[in-house]
Amino acid sequence: MLEYLYDGTFAGLLTAIFHAFRRKEYPDVILRPQGQRLLFATTHTVETDDVMAQRVLNGIERYGGKTTCEQLLHAFLSQSNNVEILILQYARELFFQKRPIMADLGNSFVLQIHKLDRRVLREVQRVLMFIRFERSADGIYFAPFAPKYDVLPLTVGHFKHRFADQQWVIYDTVRDYGFHYHGKRVEQITINAPAFSRDSGKLSVEMEHENEDDYREMWRVYFRSIAISERLNPTLQRNFMPKRFWKYLTEKKV
Amino acid sequence: MNLQEKIRILAAAAKYDVSCSSSGSDRANQPGGIGSAAKAGICHSFADDGRCISLLKILYSNHCIYDCAYCVNRHSNDIQRTTFTVKELVDLTIGFYRRNYIEGLFLSSGVINNPDFTMERLVRVARELRQIHRFNGYIHLKTIPGGSSRLVKEAALYADRLSVNIEIPSEGNLKMLAPEKDYPSVLSPMSLIKEGIVQYKEERRIYRHTPLFAPAGQSTQLIIGATPDSDRQILSLASNLYATQNLKRVYYSGYNPTNLYDSRLPAITVPPLKRENRLYQSDWLMRFYQFSVDEIVNDAHPDLDLSVDPKLSYALRNPHIFPIDVNSADHHMLLRIPGVGPKSAKMILAARRFRKLNSQHLRRIGVVMKRAQYFITCHELPTATIQELQPERVRSMLTMDLRKQSLPNAHQLSLW
Repeated sequence: MLEYLYDGTFAGLLTAIFHAFRRKEYPDVILRPQGQRLLFATTHTVETDDVMAQRVLNGIERYGGKTTCEQLLHAFLSQSNNVEILILQYARELFFQKRPIMADLGNSFVLQIHKLDRRVLREVQRVLMFIRFERSADGIYFAPFAPKYDVLPLTVGHFKHRFADQQWVIYDTVRDYGFHYHGKRVEQITINAPAFSRDSGKLSVEMEHENEDDYREMWRVYFRSIAISERLNPTLQRNFMPKRFWKYLTEKKV
Repeated sequence: MNLQEKIRILAAAAKYDVSCSSSGSDRANQPGGIGSAAKAGICHSFADDGRCISLLKILYSNHCIYDCAYCVNRHSNDIQRTTFTVKELVDLTIGFYRRNYIEGLFLSSGVINNPDFTMERLVRVARELRQIHRFNGYIHLKTIPGGSSRLVKEAALYADRLSVNIEIPSEGNLKMLAPEKDYPSVLSPMSLIKEGIVQYKEERRIYRHTPLFAPAGQSTQLIIGATPDSDRQILSLASNLYATQNLKRVYYSGYNPTNLYDSRLPAITVPPLKRENRLYQSDWLMRFYQFSVDEIVNDAHPDLDLSVDPKLSYALRNPHIFPIDVNSADHHMLLRIPGVGPKSAKMILAARRFRKLNSQHLRRIGVVMKRAQYFITCHELPTATIQELQPERVRSMLTMDLRKQSLPNAHQLSLW
């Protein structure tokens, strides 16, 4: 058995793929730092190397196009079990066929990559849907969120375009980092002493803008009022808006 | 009356309007402005009835001079009435938008004084949002039947989507339930908008900076089950509107018992949800599955079969076109297979260029094999299809399964 260890980043994985090709070997597992080590295995540790990673990425783009690169990145973000091996398989097949194989859905790993890609894009969409901003006393619109996958970077462009004239922060409370837009550029930040509650996402009272409670209450009134009581359908509601999002939703949280 | 109270009343008064889509427009944010529209639309929440909340769907006022029997805001209904000011609505929209509660505004209204007076208020809200606040989010405006063409055209300059509700699927029945309304007053603004859109598209080809004119098109709504109109009448009307008026959507709203004392309306306690669902499925068949209306309902079958979906119903009535070979059939025929949707049809087309597909592949791609198995042949040994089993047998096998699903409390009888 052969295992590769890499640092858990996408560039690291690409480097591992580069190593596999250079060493003409095929690892059984490619492990993140937290991964479950094999008992009797030869271990090869991969040092992330941007040049090697870029070369692999260029190759993927050359034969599969930009869409394939994005698809693989999204699949990687799913952090699903063994996604690294899937990506390696995909790259091997791609370099062998030298043409896009994205549509070969009869091929099991192409289909799996396709499904993981869709799963992650769905989460991106849900960030756009369910993120809720609260205005703080200093005028910054603040939104905590707990996405299942590490997809916040993929949503920044949308918010930057849409809310170009307001300062905002979106914050991933699980991975403990976020993005701050201050009118021109978006910067990655980490909040050390948070002025918000991690459980509810609520800003502390003194941090909150004075009108905030009015808007929150008006939205809740609207939310209750727009439902047709003869048609109540909580199952349908939960299908579209799973409970895991409720803790940061203005209209649902207590 | 405070703002919260107004929101409570005027949102409740708007809730019977089904449309809530924010799709079809990709208006970009302008420098210094706020907001943008997403081409596919974004839902921001889901109400307790499971319907999506994408836009702030609200009435400007629920005062109304008309007395349409099916409408909750009819003149003779004894309900609390109120009206927003333009400023209140504009501030509310912007406030909600900045917090990512909504994609934009869907504004409608009861008719105050006269159609033009009302329409002018709606247009003013949209104008202030666009011009003063430089708002680039989605705006859906309702055109008031009988509003002047000048106001309709101005509305189209600010709104992404416009809609005129036909409500009752035949003119005779409309006259009976809403004596003040007639088809021409509804259809003339619709034609006007359609012509405007066509003209805009031509000009846009020449001048890139032609101002937008209702970029997300227009839609309408039909109430189902308030009148004895058949599904055939309803779907023919819809099909006609798609063909002649280029509508983006026709919405079907199962009649909610909003009028309990009027003998012109049926005495029901729950809306006809199943029928509404079947109509939407048929609508999808017409828009995304290349079905024509006669294939779904015709003289022999003027009403939809409520026990099976319209596509399966079509397949059972036309067994001669099956089984379809998924490895060679064209797109049009793939879409006729029950259990295959537009997405899986596209995936089949792409995937079969690499290899012949068997049932395992199809299942993984997302084809609902439970239904599709009786209607296809693929790259493996043939199984019993509708040809061998006969339509009646297939129907009973498929509906038996469905019945199991819909009766959660049904358990197997004990043998002893």
